[in-house]
Amino acid sequence: MIKVPLISNTSYLIRQLPTPTAFVDTNYNIVQTSDKWTSIFNKNEECNNSRSLFAVFPNLSEKWKMVLENCFKGNPQPMGIHKTMDAKNNELWFEWINAPWYDTNENIVGAIIQLNNITDAVNNELELNKKDLLLQQQAEITKIGRWEYNIEDNQLFWCSTTKSIHEVSLDFNPNIETALFYYKEGHSRNAISMALFEAQNKGKPWSNLKLKIITATGKEKWVMAGGKPIFNKGEMVGLIGTFQDIHEQVEADIKIINNEKLLRTLIDNLPVNVYIKDTESRKILINKAECEYLEVNDPKEILGKSDFELYPYEAAEKSREEDLEVMNTLKPVIGKETVKTTINGKQTSFLSSKIPLLNNKGIAYGLVGISLDISKLKEKEKELRNIINIASVQNKKLLNFAHIVSHNLRSHSANFSMLLNFLETEKDEEEKKSIVSMLTKASNNLLETLDNLNEVVSINTNTNIEIKEINLNNKIVNACDNLSPFISVNSGRIENNIPSNFNIKSVPAYLDSILTNFITNAIKYKHPDREALVILSAEKKGDYSILTISDNGLGIDLDKYGKKLFGMYNTFHEHKDARGIGLYLTKNQIDAMNGKVEVTSETGKGTEFKIFFNDKN
Amino acid sequence: MTKISDITIIDDDTITVFGLRKLITSSVECNTIESYSNGKIALDAMTAFFNNNQQIPQIIFLDINMPIMDGWEFLKAFLELPITEKIRINIVTSSIDPRDYKQWEFFKNKSHHLITFNQKPINRNKITEITQLA
Repeated sequence: MIKVPLISNTSYLIRQLPTPTAFVDTNYNIVQTSDKWTSIFNKNEECNNSRSLFAVFPNLSEKWKMVLENCFKGNPQPMGIHKTMDAKNNELWFEWINAPWYDTNENIVGAIIQLNNITDAVNNELELNKKDLLLQQQAEITKIGRWEYNIEDNQLFWCSTTKSIHEVSLDFNPNIETALFYYKEGHSRNAISMALFEAQNKGKPWSNLKLKIITATGKEKWVMAGGKPIFNKGEMVGLIGTFQDIHEQVEADIKIINNEKLLRTLIDNLPVNVYIKDTESRKILINKAECEYLEVNDPKEILGKSDFELYPYEAAEKSREEDLEVMNTLKPVIGKETVKTTINGKQTSFLSSKIPLLNNKGIAYGLVGISLDISKLKEKEKELRNIINIASVQNKKLLNFAHIVSHNLRSHSANFSMLLNFLETEKDEEEKKSIVSMLTKASNNLLETLDNLNEVVSINTNTNIEIKEINLNNKIVNACDNLSPFISVNSGRIENNIPSNFNIKSVPAYLDSILTNFITNAIKYKHPDREALVILSAEKKGDYSILTISDNGLGIDLDKYGKKLFGMYNTFHEHKDARGIGLYLTKNQIDAMNGKVEVTSETGKGTEFKIFFNDKN
Repeated sequence: MTKISDITIIDDDTITVFGLRKLITSSVECNTIESYSNGKIALDAMTAFFNNNQQIPQIIFLDINMPIMDGWEFLKAFLELPITEKIRINIVTSSIDPRDYKQWEFFKNKSHHLITFNQKPINRNKITEITQLA
């Protein structure tokens, strides 16, 4: 006979139980539930009494039957944790506890099932698992490991990432001493030891320590370590921290730094000026050579400045236009010869190039300029051109001289041969005498010509001419004394305005010759209508001492004769003593002393010669 | 002997003038031989002849290197005179400067006068040759 539990008296009591509780009979039918149970599982508070437990919870497994059966036999077992839906279809987690249900005769008439709602706990655990997983994944991706240190039991925990960074196996058990030993001896180990000490004793956290470790397999690695103490009720209980493998970044950074250094060294030590400008033509990088050129010690003094702050306005404007052209057309300017003048007035010749800098869209974001200082080359070139000029002038002079020599000698020899021919055939004694006197004259002319040529040659070939500092005034007084008979015969007058202390550099003999020649000429070619007046004055100008000799004589038509004035055997006035040699010799002497001579003249009024004596001799 | 009305010598070298005169008188027959010591005096004389419708010398001996006005300057100015008659101009020089030779070619080609270039010394044969009327 089946024992039916007596419940009617106790049912009110059961209903008030504070936990969800159900009484089932040995047929698994629900006999009585607490109100708590009812409110959770029963829709519309309908009564489940006398329904089968398995009908109400269709998801319950057969295992339950076994557990309950055992319970009916007086052997209750834990039923574990199960998920089930409440009346509102919420997912709930319960811990199921069961106990045999005894009647007053100690007979088992069913089982009492009590539920413990652990949904929150389960959910928390799930959340924790999820977070753990996430952390794990994050650690693997970012190579950021974790560690925890428990002070009380001196336990150190490494996460799998931390372990893999150390290259130890996953079952490796670290402790705080061995952990420190993985840091490379020296700076790294000292730094981490200090940080740990400070944390343990002063509660100071540490972060972003870039250190080197040596892994279990002996590899050197860069890591970033951080850590901070954890407190529980104001007491430090441990440390937690992160451990990141930054080897690749650091190596890459080091490589970048090295590359930058290499580039910088290259740029700085190139014997050319290098700069980079932004789109506003402001300098954003300059090398040492450019610094030196702009006369600054620190590039910072120049960076950010545009040409308008470094060069005169017009030059800056021109340069800016060129910059824009290069950046707009993307066509580089290569090896353009330019002369730059800084604001300080320093002039430099450059072979300059401007190359556009392109971003990844192909648009110029600036330009790089490279300028080679060719001032010295230019100077050399100028010197060379000067030398070529001098050589070609000399050459012309020589050729001219050769023609003069040839012409003069030939004309004399032609005269000789002609006169001798006449003499041979001449019968008339008187005529013979006349021819002989002509021959004598021709001979004298030849001698004179030879003397003149000799003099010219000696002026032009004597490289050891001794230039001395001479008092000009004294020399003029001397020259006037020597010429005094000639001057007085021609009733000329000399006005000497030269300061008594005026010195020039000249070959004494040349100066005598120059003074004699110019003074003689000034009087020789005097104007017939007036007395000759020669005015001498002197001044210093630049590298030269200038002697000015002006007269009130006939004057020369320089348009007509200017080119021939200093030529050999060129005369311009019908004067019996004009030989056309004086000015030629004088000019040669002045040239030989690196001087020059200038002339101005007006026909009928007079002539002014300016003789430049080089002070640099 | 060819009969020539007037011959002119323009040269500053008295010996050359003496020699040319002597050679000319012994080679050709002519009315007058005039000589001028530079281009300027000669040009003034020629211009005067032309302006007064007087006979221009048929043959001119011309030196190059002379003071005041040299042979080339004289020649340039003389060729500008609109003389229809063909004049013989004998340049007589001791110059071997190629520039002088070029000058001669330049003037020779642009004038209807007969212009010859003669190197000194001039001998009797040469004189006979260059005193043929142009």
